[in-house]
Amino acid sequence: MRTGLISALLLIAVASQWADSAEPDKNGDYQWNLPKGFPKPYVPADNPMTAAKVELGKYLFYDTRMSVNGKASCATCHKQELAFTDGRAVGLGATGESHSRGAMSLVNVAWNAALTWSNPEMKNLEKQALVPMFGDHPVELGLREGDGFLPMLRADTKYRALFERAFPEDADRFTIVNVTRAIASFERSIVSARSPYDRYHYDRDDSAISNSAKRGEILFFDQRLSCFRCHGGFNFTDSTVSERNSERQIEFHNTGLYNLPGLLSYPAPNVGIYEFTKTPADIGKFKAPTLRNIALTAPYMHDGSITTLEGVLDHYAAGGRGHDNPNKDPLIGGFVLSQQDRDDLIAFLKSLTDQMVIRDPRFANPWPQTN
Amino acid sequence: MSRRLSFLRFSILAAIGVGLVFAQAPQPQGGSTTLVVSGDIATPLMLKAEDLATMPREKVSIPDQDGTVVEYDGVPLIEILKRAGAPVGNQLRGKALATYILARAHDGYEVVFTLGELDASFGNEKILVADKRDGKPLFGYQGPFRLVCPGDKAGARSVRMLETLEIVRLQK
Repeated sequence: MRTGLISALLLIAVASQWADSAEPDKNGDYQWNLPKGFPKPYVPADNPMTAAKVELGKYLFYDTRMSVNGKASCATCHKQELAFTDGRAVGLGATGESHSRGAMSLVNVAWNAALTWSNPEMKNLEKQALVPMFGDHPVELGLREGDGFLPMLRADTKYRALFERAFPEDADRFTIVNVTRAIASFERSIVSARSPYDRYHYDRDDSAISNSAKRGEILFFDQRLSCFRCHGGFNFTDSTVSERNSERQIEFHNTGLYNLPGLLSYPAPNVGIYEFTKTPADIGKFKAPTLRNIALTAPYMHDGSITTLEGVLDHYAAGGRGHDNPNKDPLIGGFVLSQQDRDDLIAFLKSLTDQMVIRDPRFANPWPQTN
Repeated sequence: MSRRLSFLRFSILAAIGVGLVFAQAPQPQGGSTTLVVSGDIATPLMLKAEDLATMPREKVSIPDQDGTVVEYDGVPLIEILKRAGAPVGNQLRGKALATYILARAHDGYEVVFTLGELDASFGNEKILVADKRDGKPLFGYQGPFRLVCPGDKAGARSVRMLETLEIVRLQK
């Protein structure tokens, strides 16, 4: 009990230090203050990061008035306590319509080369924000051009001040373009960089993770399992860009999750990047998401069809649940794990959980509880 | 006040206790703590970190993914090959040029270098058998030994968890 209290106090102390150091500065230039090992993210030239835009974006992100019926906001599918996922197999829109895929984590989204499970062209957060706002298939937030959303912003005292600070030079500040710029800026600010594993790996703090997790790390980077080949790098994904490396060939993978009879082999409409490329070899290819905070983001895979991390290990150990899929990535060859190996890998994956990012007030709902 | 003091005392003792538990448990290592040099050579070697410490050492600096410079410290591969009696320098001619080094990792990963690309008279590639990164021993999935190939554009020959260097002469 007391040890738990001590851990909590230590966590709070470290969290406050990190929170202080990463505070946006008052002059408008956003200070990333990234720790060792984390490159500066790529930010589009037409939407430079500012503290004021991040602040405005946070209010918009959590505002249910951004939906057709006042029932949903970005945070409905991207909850801070779940590393900005929603715990559901597939997303659920404001009107009750189901999405065909699960909500992806927004943690460290600033480094994502591709933003969605299976659209290789969706690389820009500003553009992506329009999909949940205005998309019809399915309806997510359900906004419509010409509805009352922008007039609401214009009439709201809080928003008038926030927009003025974020876009001081714009003649008309209350535009959809500015809304998406602010939301994208807030999303880019959600950085997870000091999980227990980071403290072990980057700060050489041997007490940060257990020996089981250390053994799991070695297994994770073992050639036999090759987990690191798709989930490598500082963000544990091969879909990563940064300021120095903003152009990158994005990899998508068919992990043999399905092997249905017929041409598609994956259940429609989730046929991978084939939906966009129309190249048969792309059927079933999806993005390898970050493994940071993976213990918080169940259920797993694009359709949430695996409920636990143990189930994910079973899938890969078997060389894919639909292991004979003709498009399967050659890396998914299967392997044998002892119970100790399994426990160690799970311990390693759990060491990627950053308790700070899910409690950090900079990323929390700024509205009073009644909103 | 006394409660606060005893809580502080307890906290310090608990922190020390937790530290000791971790300090006493053996650290899992990726690869063996012995680097084996074997094959078609006069003097097979079993090298430990303390052996590498006594050999000619070099440092190479390469940029990490965040742009910060990472410094690896270790022994040039060619120096290890010299000590093992591999044909280098004046001896590297004729049939000896058909000699390669098979570097094998703990997990079975293997890559090949030729003697010609390492020798100063030919390729003169600076390949390092590193045991330190930024002044600290390599640990976890990287160590305790790894190759560093600063001239390579891709990182795939920079073998982590290096355990064996096997010298193979194709023509004897």
